[in-house]
Amino acid sequence: MSTETEPGDVLLTMSGIVKTFPGVRALDGVDLEVRAGEVHCLLGQNGAGKSTLIKVLAGAHQPDGGEIVWQGKPTTLGSPVAALRIGVATMYQELDLVDGLSVAENIFLGHEPNAFGFTRRGHMRAEARKLMRRLGHPEIPVGREVGLLSAAGQQLVSMARALAHDARLIVMDEPTAALAADEVDNLFRVVADLTAEGVAIVYISHRLEEIRRIGNRVTVIKDGRTVASNLDSHTPTAELVNLMSGRNVETVFPHREANTTDSSHEVLVVEGLTRASEFADVSFTVNAGEIVGIAGLVGAGRSEVLETVYGARKADSGTVVVDGKRLRPGNVPAAVAAGVGLAPEERKSQALLLDQSVANNVVLASLPEYSRAGFSDIRRELRDARATLERLDLRPADPRREVRTLSGGNQQKAVVARWLVRDCKVLLLDEPTRGVDVGARAELYRLIHELAASGVAVLLVSSEVPEVLGLSDRVLVMREGRLLTEAPASELTEAAVLDMVMEGSEVMA
Amino acid sequence: MTTLDERVAQNGLVSRLIVRPEIGALIGALAVFVFFSIVADKFLTAAGVATWLDDSATLGIMAVAVALLMIGGEFDLSAGVMTASTALVTAILAVEVGLNVWLALLLSLVFALGVGALNGWIVVRTGLPSFIVTLGTFLALQGLNLGITRLVTNSVQVSGMRSTDGYESAGFVFASTFQVGDTPFQISIVWWLGFAALAAWVLVRTKFGNWTFAVGGSAPSARAVGVPVRRTKILLFMTTAAAGWLVGSINILRFTTVQANQGIGLEFQFIIAAVIGGCLLTGGFGSAIGAAIGALIFGMARQGIVFANWNSDWFMLFLGIMLLGAVLVNNTFRRRAERVRR
Ligand SMILES: Nc1ncnc2c1ncn2[C@@H]1O[C@H](COP(=O)(O)OP(=O)(O)OP(=O)(O)O)[C@@H](O)[C@H]1O
Ligand SMILES: [Mg+2]
Repeated sequence: MSTETEPGDVLLTMSGIVKTFPGVRALDGVDLEVRAGEVHCLLGQNGAGKSTLIKVLAGAHQPDGGEIVWQGKPTTLGSPVAALRIGVATMYQELDLVDGLSVAENIFLGHEPNAFGFTRRGHMRAEARKLMRRLGHPEIPVGREVGLLSAAGQQLVSMARALAHDARLIVMDEPTAALAADEVDNLFRVVADLTAEGVAIVYISHRLEEIRRIGNRVTVIKDGRTVASNLDSHTPTAELVNLMSGRNVETVFPHREANTTDSSHEVLVVEGLTRASEFADVSFTVNAGEIVGIAGLVGAGRSEVLETVYGARKADSGTVVVDGKRLRPGNVPAAVAAGVGLAPEERKSQALLLDQSVANNVVLASLPEYSRAGFSDIRRELRDARATLERLDLRPADPRREVRTLSGGNQQKAVVARWLVRDCKVLLLDEPTRGVDVGARAELYRLIHELAASGVAVLLVSSEVPEVLGLSDRVLVMREGRLLTEAPASELTEAAVLDMVMEGSEVMA
Repeated sequence: MTTLDERVAQNGLVSRLIVRPEIGALIGALAVFVFFSIVADKFLTAAGVATWLDDSATLGIMAVAVALLMIGGEFDLSAGVMTASTALVTAILAVEVGLNVWLALLLSLVFALGVGALNGWIVVRTGLPSFIVTLGTFLALQGLNLGITRLVTNSVQVSGMRSTDGYESAGFVFASTFQVGDTPFQISIVWWLGFAALAAWVLVRTKFGNWTFAVGGSAPSARAVGVPVRRTKILLFMTTAAAGWLVGSINILRFTTVQANQGIGLEFQFIIAAVIGGCLLTGGFGSAIGAAIGALIFGMARQGIVFANWNSDWFMLFLGIMLLGAVLVNNTFRRRAERVRR
């Protein structure tokens, strides 16, 4: 590996990069300059072109125009291998691991240590183990199939793979989207180590507080163009958001109108819900018009609870009652018929038909209704869907586009929009703002509030504690499969909640 | 720092075993073995064992190759008819043209590799499903087999291998028998076991094996980290075709005659054996040993039914139950393993 660059020297310059897809000009002259040893943040709305830009840098897309200069030399990156060879490793937004291979095999896929074509397995495993230790997770068995790991575990493997390449520049496209707070700290510790060694990081995230914590400089992209480069990472939020969206956006949590909660009307009553080795004895209620948030770490069993209420998982014991009617355990159609909706966490595997149009995806959840009421209904759904998508600023706003060609954040909006247009009694939202940009996020919050105001019972899971506190009326704290605390959001502070989810201390604010 | 997968880390040997893709096939093979050992006296005699191993062997060689290809995410419907095509090429070159058998075998191998490469090349170049592409090759080869055989011999078979140059030595390699006690076993059994072991080893111990899983599991991911996806797939198609050649050669040297319409319909048996052995139709998951065991189930059941003096009509019913049973067992265990997630 060449070490011609000192920390602070310009490592990479991309200028005037253009990339068009059929019908979309995803990049329309983007400039980016990265120095050795810095964390360079890329900011931009959903669909601005961030992922496309880094795919050009990774050699996965060929640009239609522009120039890439690497360590002072003009370079073409004709393939992923070419990019890896010069020292650019990429962690893609959509996890790109091979489920059937082991952790170690995934880490070294494509550059297996080998002697005469035979993999040196012992060596490979030892190296993989070293990497996992460096990432703070020596307990993950490197021989285990990646498909059997949790989302956070997979994220770590993806990170280990980037490290294994010994790169000069590591691109991280929303690496924290699937991570809990402590895992984020862990990632940032690794990032600090890397930059101290002179490695440059290109960091993409919609969480501005992360950018302030680790970022050195910021480049803002809007509609495929660089609108500001080399900003200080402590540029005020309002200014950054203004640059991203070209307008002033309210970024604080919308004010909750006088409490509309009808506490006499318990829409969702969960009692003693238990699933072996996932969660035990979970009981709570959600009233009509109330927003209840579940805080906790990834792996605390929050998603599992939501999926069990929805019937996607079958409870070992315990009951779920919606509007006075007990739901058959493990039966999704029954739950949907009773008016329960779930926007799941893993959009790719659980929620979206990637090859179908946005419209089809949004209307999917309404199909049972549609078959009852006939064609006119589906047209109304479509109109509502379009209105919702417009409010969430889904781009491009064409509902006939295949979901596959949408940016990550826009896919997420499609998942959530599906349930927002449907008349649910109980809405279960699992990480609804994952990967969604700041502006759209505020709009999403407002939509959730409106739904609650109209009498829907909302149960929300989010790994971002401020989001749980800011959005909910009442907060449940989960840790290791158990409900620790239940309290009105107004009585909790972020620090107190973090304390509880991490240490399990039952201190009340 | 929280540990992400504490429960996973403590997993013992048993739970690691039951997520193996072969598990369903292994249980099935044991069940079939015990069942026929009880109901048919001849099943466990040396001659009986030789018979069902022989039946499993040629099927097993193909099932293993097809399993590799399926793990790589592709199908080959021309694999069955390929066993006939290669035998015909060898026989026509040796009998009608008068070449030495070894030279004929070599040219036949070149032909097989060419067809395999063509299959693979069309699939990776066009992105068409291999199901369709190889269906085309299958029909084309079927037509060629009949057309050319009739053109050259005026009949629908080629025979007379016995009197060709090199028949003895080639026959020794591909179609002789070896004695265990006083029972002759076919050499094809050795080829089968050897090939299965080699394939299993390649799959888990070599770069190429890793790549096979990767291109079948997620071709875009594999490409993004620099795996030569196209080359890997083309090589897998060529491996399947080469296995077809091996089976074709074993057949022609053993029976010295080949029918032009032989081999048709076998392609599904290969796929069934591979699926019983734990291959997923979606690719990225499976096992060579499993496929070999899948073929063993076939052989034991087909011959067991004969030994038990039942009508062979029952074979298909039996096969259907085995297929569903093995897949269900695999599925159940995988689910259980996945539940440990998170
Ligand atoms: N393969 C593709 N085919 C067609 N259009 C595409 C394709 N990939 C991306 N696009 C389009 O290019 C634009 C930029 O997408 P990109 O994924 O780069 O956005 P992004 O900035 O990463 O957004 P997000 O924050 O949501 O991840 C979007 O309009 C998207 O729909
Ligand atoms: Mg993106």
